[in-house]
Amino acid sequence: MAWITKPSATQTIPTRAEPYLTAAMKATWERDLIPRYATRHGALMPILHEIQHAHRCVPYQAMIEIAGFLKISPAEVLDTVTFYEEYTTEKLGQCVIGICQSIACEVCGHKKLVDHVRSKLGIEPHETTDDGKFTLLTLECLGSCDTAPVALFNETLHENLTIEKVDELIDRARQESGGGGHH
Amino acid sequence: MPLTEAVLTKRIPTFPWGDPKNRRTVGIDQFMATGGYETLKKAISMQPTEIVNLVKDANLRGRGGAGFPAGLKWTFLPPPDGKTRYLCINCDEAEPGTFKDRLLVDFDPHLILEGIAIACYACQLDTAFFFIRGEYHHQAKVMQRAIDEAYAKGIFGGKGLLNGASNFKVECYLHRGAGAYICGEETGLLEAIEGKRGWPRIKPPFPAVKGLFGRPTIINNVETLAAVGPIVDKGVAWWKGCGCESSVGGPPSYGPKLMGVSGHVERPGVFECDLGIPLRKLVEDYCGGMRKGKKFKGAIAGGVSMGVLGPDQYDAEMDFDIGRKYDVLGLGTACPTVFDEDTDMVAVARNLARFFKNESCGQCTPCREGSGWMLKLIMKVERGEGTTKDLDLILEIAGSMGLTPGTTICGLADGNNFAVRTIVNKFRGEFEKRVKPVYVPVTVGAR
Repeated sequence: MAWITKPSATQTIPTRAEPYLTAAMKATWERDLIPRYATRHGALMPILHEIQHAHRCVPYQAMIEIAGFLKISPAEVLDTVTFYEEYTTEKLGQCVIGICQSIACEVCGHKKLVDHVRSKLGIEPHETTDDGKFTLLTLECLGSCDTAPVALFNETLHENLTIEKVDELIDRARQESGGGGHH
Repeated sequence: MPLTEAVLTKRIPTFPWGDPKNRRTVGIDQFMATGGYETLKKAISMQPTEIVNLVKDANLRGRGGAGFPAGLKWTFLPPPDGKTRYLCINCDEAEPGTFKDRLLVDFDPHLILEGIAIACYACQLDTAFFFIRGEYHHQAKVMQRAIDEAYAKGIFGGKGLLNGASNFKVECYLHRGAGAYICGEETGLLEAIEGKRGWPRIKPPFPAVKGLFGRPTIINNVETLAAVGPIVDKGVAWWKGCGCESSVGGPPSYGPKLMGVSGHVERPGVFECDLGIPLRKLVEDYCGGMRKGKKFKGAIAGGVSMGVLGPDQYDAEMDFDIGRKYDVLGLGTACPTVFDEDTDMVAVARNLARFFKNESCGQCTPCREGSGWMLKLIMKVERGEGTTKDLDLILEIAGSMGLTPGTTICGLADGNNFAVRTIVNKFRGEFEKRVKPVYVPVTVGAR
């Protein structure tokens, strides 16, 4: 059997001197999150949500720091990060366009939206533009089939989409991100 | 006696009782001004076992897809031992075509919270986790606000369940998922709350005995819990008056049900109907008929896992018998996606196969590998490169995966199996037009 192997033993991960987890964050989690769950491991998903939201990805260094905070192995954090679609190890764009591709949206014309965004931004699904402003995702059902086709622009759902509406949303996102991003 | 007034959608304007344009999120003050949390007051004046028996007598069948009797599920719990016991509320709602729970969370979150409080009291569960899918960003905020309001008004927390009147307290937390369909499977959901990847667990032990963090746990769907309040309030006789008996000698389908219709209809949306309403009536009377007057071609019975109804099954009754009578997996979430005459059913099959391939968690080989191979074969057929043998192979793979043939841990593969198999079987002609025939050489007369 031919296995594709990565030299993980010698692989280096990008690090920075400033820790991702601040003392204030740890104190808040210790007070609000940890008591909810019977194990410290239980608080992992809410913590990952917070990191993903702040950095638009979960950096490897943050995973190690979280593992230390929760007293679990970094491998367990990596396991959860890579299983769930919302956590990414690659940095997402400032505006993430998640177009629903499930059945109701497909029969109501999601494909022309995807094709439009592809040609407008010059990226394929699951790619980010070179300027880091947009990421295009095709997602499974967003639970709004009565208003198909739908898409998430970051955390906001937009319903009954047309090419014109998508153009408008992209233009607005471009203006909002005009001043340059943080981190 | 059929449903004469809105019950689950009492505060959510819905056809035919109200105009969806007037929908607003109901806060706790408006909820309490319209009879909210009165049922909880009634419930805590009863013995917990009385409530469990009431729900059991009403034969409330789970609204999440499987239709398992909720009251019966509650009786599987061992007696309280003074340690933590959990209620997990399943609001994963990732089944394509399904959007009924979102309506309740969006507009009447306290109806759900009242059901949660009653269920916790009835089953003596002291911690509730409201598991909501990651993509429901807005809904998570609405729910969190409602939970905070309920804490402030003495429903949950240290001075909870009506400001300590019940001598029982319940903590209620929101837990957001992160984009994995499999977390709607009850044990996958438990793994997600524990912070792990959402791999379903082998049963037994069942969650009622050994569930979240190894403790007794009940997992119920949002709509199931929303129905608990009205049952306690209006009684078993009223509940049994809605819906219908089984026509094939199976368990009955009582009560009102939220049905979300999407696809090629004039007015898609969620409606509250009696179980047993024919699909044709749902489409014609509630949704304003097929879009642009086109002809009905087929429909997904209720979430893609259930498979499709064929062109001759437009009159299928939407109740829990549907699986036995119309060769689909079951009622599922009762959210049909309707297709008109122009729909390419091969493309539909490809879409569904892709969904299951993407969402298979990868734990069991037949599902992980089978879903990928089925997608490849269907794409081959869609491109016009398939043969009739490929259709047989698709059916063979489909039939070999799932709980029914006994090859997987959870039912995701059964969904895949039914979705693909029913489309290929019920629209066989359409598939055959796209494939090349395979000729088997036969020699006649020679020895």
